[in-house]
Amino acid sequence: MANRIVVDPITRIEGHLRIEAEIKDGKITDAWSSGTMVRGIEIILKGRDPRDAWAFTERVCGVCTTVHALASVRSVEDALGIVVPPNAELIRNLMFCAQYMQDHVVHFYHLHALDWVDVVSALSADPDKTSAIAQSISNYPKSSPKYFADLKNRLKAFVDSGQLGIFANGYWGHKAYKLPPEVNLIGVAHYLEALEWQKEIVKVHTIFGGKNPHPNYLVGGVPCSLNLSEVNAINTERLAYVGKLIDDAATFIEQVYIPDLLAIAGFYKDWGAIGGGLTNYMAYGDLPVNGVGDPKSFKFPRGIILNRDLSKVVELDAKNADQIQEYISHSYYDYSDGDNAGKHPWDGETKLNYTGPKPPYEFIDVEKKYSWLKTPRWQGKAMEVGPLARCLVGYASGRKDFIDAVTGVLTALNVPVEALFSTLGRTAARGIETKLVAGWAKEFYGKLLESIKGGDTRTFTSEKWDPDTWSAEAKGVGLTEAPRGALAHWIVIKDKKIDNYQMVVPSTWNASPRDAKGQRSAYEESLIGTPIADPENPLEILRTIHSFDPCIACAVH
Amino acid sequence: MNKKPKTVYEEFQAKGHSRRDFLKFCTMTAAFLGLEYSAVGKVVKALENKPRPAVIWLHFQECTCCSESFIRSSHPLVADIVLDKISLDYTETLMAAAGHQAEKSLQDTMAKFKGEYILLVEGSIPTDANGAYCCIGGKSAMQIVEEVAEGAKAVIAWGNCASSGCVQAANPNPTGAKPVHKVISGKPVINVQGCPPIAEVMAAVVVHILVFDTIPQLDGLGRPKEFYSRRVHDTCYRRPNYDAGLFVNSFDDENARKGYCLYKMGCRGPVTYNACGVTKWNNGVSFPIQSGHPCIGCSEANFWDNGPFYQHLPSFPGFGIETTADEIGVGLGLVTVAGIAAHAITTNVRKRRALFGKRVDDSNVDISKE
Amino acid sequence: MTQVRKLYVWQLPVRFYHWNNAICIVALCLTGFLIGKPIALQTAAEASSSYWFGIIRFTHFVFAFLFFFNFMFRTFWGFVGNDYARWYHFIPLKKKQWREIVQVLKIDILQATGKPIESVGHNSLAGFTYFITFLFFTLQSFTGFALYADMSTSWFPHLFAWISPILGGDLLTRQIHHILMWGFIIFAIIHVYLVFYHDYAEKRGVTSSMIGGWKFIEEEKETEK
Ligand code: HEM
Ligand code: HEM
Ligand code: NFV
Ligand code: SF4
Ligand code: SF4
Ligand code: F3S
Ligand SMILES: [Mg+2]
Repeated sequence: MANRIVVDPITRIEGHLRIEAEIKDGKITDAWSSGTMVRGIEIILKGRDPRDAWAFTERVCGVCTTVHALASVRSVEDALGIVVPPNAELIRNLMFCAQYMQDHVVHFYHLHALDWVDVVSALSADPDKTSAIAQSISNYPKSSPKYFADLKNRLKAFVDSGQLGIFANGYWGHKAYKLPPEVNLIGVAHYLEALEWQKEIVKVHTIFGGKNPHPNYLVGGVPCSLNLSEVNAINTERLAYVGKLIDDAATFIEQVYIPDLLAIAGFYKDWGAIGGGLTNYMAYGDLPVNGVGDPKSFKFPRGIILNRDLSKVVELDAKNADQIQEYISHSYYDYSDGDNAGKHPWDGETKLNYTGPKPPYEFIDVEKKYSWLKTPRWQGKAMEVGPLARCLVGYASGRKDFIDAVTGVLTALNVPVEALFSTLGRTAARGIETKLVAGWAKEFYGKLLESIKGGDTRTFTSEKWDPDTWSAEAKGVGLTEAPRGALAHWIVIKDKKIDNYQMVVPSTWNASPRDAKGQRSAYEESLIGTPIADPENPLEILRTIHSFDPCIACAVH
Repeated sequence: MNKKPKTVYEEFQAKGHSRRDFLKFCTMTAAFLGLEYSAVGKVVKALENKPRPAVIWLHFQECTCCSESFIRSSHPLVADIVLDKISLDYTETLMAAAGHQAEKSLQDTMAKFKGEYILLVEGSIPTDANGAYCCIGGKSAMQIVEEVAEGAKAVIAWGNCASSGCVQAANPNPTGAKPVHKVISGKPVINVQGCPPIAEVMAAVVVHILVFDTIPQLDGLGRPKEFYSRRVHDTCYRRPNYDAGLFVNSFDDENARKGYCLYKMGCRGPVTYNACGVTKWNNGVSFPIQSGHPCIGCSEANFWDNGPFYQHLPSFPGFGIETTADEIGVGLGLVTVAGIAAHAITTNVRKRRALFGKRVDDSNVDISKE
Repeated sequence: MTQVRKLYVWQLPVRFYHWNNAICIVALCLTGFLIGKPIALQTAAEASSSYWFGIIRFTHFVFAFLFFFNFMFRTFWGFVGNDYARWYHFIPLKKKQWREIVQVLKIDILQATGKPIESVGHNSLAGFTYFITFLFFTLQSFTGFALYADMSTSWFPHLFAWISPILGGDLLTRQIHHILMWGFIIFAIIHVYLVFYHDYAEKRGVTSSMIGGWKFIEEEKETEK
């Protein structure tokens, strides 16, 4: 007998996600992913000034803050034919890199780690042994026996208080936890260290964008000015600050994140064969070195991999009306030409129409509409997007930096390349690209200094700022790679106002409900076959779902 | 986990610290809070006798950046708040438990600390479609917030979403999004405004409630005066440029490179109450204006509908983007002048006709003599 | 025979108020307009060497106080002054006043011919218009002082501090304050025109009446009270 379980809320994610799954003989046989919150931001954007859109769309998500702002200004710049000055591109790239480093590290420690690390087990760790393990995997200075003993005491006092706070009712003691107490203690230690660390790297946003979360962007460049003879602008002190933040971040990633990732992954190699899901992967690519118009120059290459065939990278065109389309067959929306139509975002429609059960409800009706996410498809195919897709596209494009990084991890874990197509692969890919990004950040930083040294301090072009210079009708698309995957905004501008604005977001690709043909998207597909040791405590569902780093506020918007 | 919760003092003992250490900690806390030495006794008492206060953090229509902002706090550090100062029993973003286990955490805390727990709300509450626009565990946000607010001692509304609806409540507000104070009643609601609020401000509001055991003094819009009593404009370091009439005219122009005032770029500093100019962001690194972008007024109600952002005053409602009150005023002025001109001409024609007529018809009266 | 009767209409306090008010409004519109739309000088000036915007604002505030108390004084005079100054001329509560409003509209504005207008002080339409401008004065002062409250340490502006929260914040308060400026400008244009127009059309010495206080009424035979 199949047994339907519900996990709602899925916690340690951004947003409101519900998973329903059918379990038979200790394995998931079918699964449904439902986003349960909507705001209608695409509707709200209609009729507004395109130059304001970045601020609205940035509020789609505060976890991947900045990426929607970036996609938005790019879409407007594409529509109006604006090319931003090189310095603006470099500053945007630096903000992009800072976002990746912060977001990925927070995901690993604060959103994902508790799926693998048993906090209660850490109480029985031996501080001396812990120290020895820590020192054997990394040069991170905070690794003395005393350090771990203090931490253990703090943890013990916390647990003894009887108030477990965020750790209450976790799956502690679940038999899927495999780490020895000492590695668990390292995990807890770095959970706390990472919590302190993450608030530093975001200061790159604060310096260039004035605040984090939600730094400021600008159509036509960046709002900050560079001026080496002014205390009121980005000057040498500010630049030095950025340099230090990047260096410190890179050190943390190298000394803490990557060693922990490898150490923990080493105990869970079986997850290299679980949670693979879809076989198609897509990346828009990002981090332009020569402007957004030259995708060949991107640090993250653009492309599609079909059927896990790493020998070939397929090209994509976001402006082609037949390639990217969104369906609503199982989503709470109406289309003017029927529920089974697929729409390219320039012709996209957002009309809310809730047809699900009236709250409070126990189950959703998965035969009908069951989610607030639309269902995007590339030429009718379901795609996985995200760190794994990016690594695979980079790897398959023959890019040396990717091949080296990926092989390095595969060798360290002693697993074949096929292990990438899995829950473990996704989590590893996130670490791999974080390390690459840390390196690129240093490169961009150097380029920015060089450019200033060369006498170019422009950060903004006012050419198309005045709406009177715009044509009566314009269309644009802004592509980027958000931490969770391929992100794009499509804009239609008419009479200086937004006529249509559509966002197709990474988590929309991954977490969407079935399409008109009944094909599953990434979350649902990846759960099929996942072993569930105890349906009352479905830790394994969290592992695979968390490996995507869900963001449902993004996905629905 | 049904043990009696420990007080902060007991926790100190358990960690192997002496009472002297504890007193020292209290003195430092007091100093941090700017208290007189005589007030130290009060702090000692407050921390000695209370278990860590139970806190429930609910998430509704949000972007979660208030949570993100909160974890950026550097004084106090968020780990210290969460592990030592409060017991954060429910927050979907960070809690280990999920699904039924998460719901259990919520129910346990509501039952055990009825009337005692502090409720923090992030996000707005959709009121249309029976609340179906935001559901958690099958219940609507409306049902959840009413149920949880019932037993709360105080309610903090995080950010613009929970304080005034934020972006999703912007016109046409497709989901009927409402802020907390419009959905619950009979509870004090503290609106910690901003999109998001500054991390240290968020932390300080929590600390204020814990240590002083009162809710902070609020302004007319429910914001703690401690952080929202000043306009950004009044604490802005570019203010001397404003007074001197030195304004940026276009981004990255000569004036922008000198850091002149952003008033003409639409800066909302003069109508926005927030601590940005003083407390600044991310441990004092910068704030929007310092980094060259005008304030968009993110701690004010309805700031999204007061755009376009790059224009000093909002567009005139009902007219297109970019149509300011001034353009309409000038238009009306011209119409007036034209009307007057027309009026003056007809007056003249009429009067002349009257004069002419009089002369012909009534030659006895010589009106021209006067 | 036509006879010209000299009538003392505007008492000194009313005239004093009027010109004070006119000066204040002109100054407030000029400075207010600049506050709303300052010129950005592309100069190498240092903030420490200039204070022009501060002075503009200061001027605005000085005239704001003058304007407000002058207006308060006029309101007071509306209860103690002579008949022409009384408040009931401003609020059309009587049928007669409404009839006159229609009449004035016909004769003055639409330029139809008809029975001349009887009123000596303001006619009912003028009175009503002034009543509306008084509402504008009130709104403008309230929004102005509400904005000023947080820039001031004095108790007086704080009496108006409750206004912004009702309007949801300072931005709408400011928007209203700004839009009303155009109300003042348009009123002033029409008003000054009409004053000269009446002089031209009726020859009662309206223009000078606001200076000397006297109007000159042309009468056929009987005098109207
Ligand atoms: C005829 C009467 C008045 C007119 C036409 C007038 C006009 C204006 C205008 C156009 C602005 C600029 C608004 C903007 O675009 O931001 C302004 C600002 C202001 N006005 Fe007035 N105003 C008048 C009376 C008053 C009064 C009675 C006060 C009372 C104190 C006042 C206080 C202010 C304040 C505080 C500001 C904002 C100044 C700043 O933030 O620097 N105004 N006024
Ligand atoms: C050339 C300049 C002006 C002249 C000759 C003038 C003359 C007059 C006259 C004759 C009246 C009485 C109207 C009536 O017969 O009912 C009057 C009333 C009034 N005027 Fe003016 N005016 C001038 C400018 C202004 C200006 C610039 C303002 C302000 C915008 C102004 C505001 C008023 C007001 C508020 C009243 C009503 C007075 C009251 O009874 O309290 N005037 N003016
Ligand atoms: N999905 C998603 Fe985002 C990301 N990364 C954005 O585009 O998280 Ni909030
Ligand atoms: S107030 Fe702003 S920052 Fe906070 S959740 Fe809402 S949109 Fe995000
Ligand atoms: S930049 Fe904005 S807040 Fe600062 S002085 Fe100018 S107008 Fe005021
Ligand atoms: S936009 Fe917000 S962050 Fe501060 S400077 Fe303005 S209140
Ligand atoms: Mg969309």
